[in-house]
Amino acid sequence: MEDGKQDALMRRPEDALQRVPVPPERIVTPVADLFETGDAFIMKLDMPGTAKECIHLSIESDRLAIRASVAVPHPASAHVLFSEIGHKKYLREFNLGDGIDRDKIDALYEDGVLTILLPKTEALRPRTIPIR
Amino acid sequence: MALIRWNHTRDLPSWPSEVFGLQRDVNRMFDNFFRGGLQDDSTELSAWTPAVDIAEQKDAYLVKVELPGVRKEDVKITLESSILTIRGEKKQDTETATENYHRVERCYGSFQRSFTLPTTVKADRIEAVYKDGILNITLPKAEEAKPKQIEVKVK
Repeated sequence: MEDGKQDALMRRPEDALQRVPVPPERIVTPVADLFETGDAFIMKLDMPGTAKECIHLSIESDRLAIRASVAVPHPASAHVLFSEIGHKKYLREFNLGDGIDRDKIDALYEDGVLTILLPKTEALRPRTIPIR
Repeated sequence: MALIRWNHTRDLPSWPSEVFGLQRDVNRMFDNFFRGGLQDDSTELSAWTPAVDIAEQKDAYLVKVELPGVRKEDVKITLESSILTIRGEKKQDTETATENYHRVERCYGSFQRSFTLPTTVKADRIEAVYKDGILNITLPKAEEAKPKQIEVKVK
């Protein structure tokens, strides 16, 4: 035990040297548009810089969660002169109403925009009632 | 109707514009000072302002611009006496523009950003790639701008 403690103390300065400064990562709420058609709600979120494989959509009880990681913006060798984008990840949650058919939710990522199709259940779709 | 990003130094109509104009100039002066000569020249013609990152490497400047939902045909990049300008337009999808909206947070319309680059770049070697909503511009430095190592002989 005594030896183990000593070893840990000895190693500490070395650890400090190996520590690479990591730019702080921000959690960003992506801006969203929501609009409605006869059959569905369509949501569009601006999420530049991520990739299809890095986006996770999940539904837990009534919450739709959108999470995505974004690659570090610059190579480690680069000297950052101006930074508005920085290092970030995306997170946004929405409450889903009863009128959405959860099994048919579909999503597409293109040109930095995530489009989520939220189809309406039969009950919510517009109908015309024939007159007898 | 175009949606305009709120800018507290520009858009408050009840305040005399010269007050904010002065404040903006002062802010810019400080910003420029801390950025070591790299200038963000003007965003006043824009309906919205895309976020930008600029990094310097040994042989090039790397500029990243967030342009989600902008088609690459709608982006124009120019370099004129070391002023780099990125301008274009984010168009609203025609099929969705007429639908019933519940929430509109995203910005549409024209944008423009200009930056004065501190050293000369090889104008004919500039490359730009648009992927996943990010415009990546690589501006190779001219030979005279690259750091040189000179060996001095001690006599």
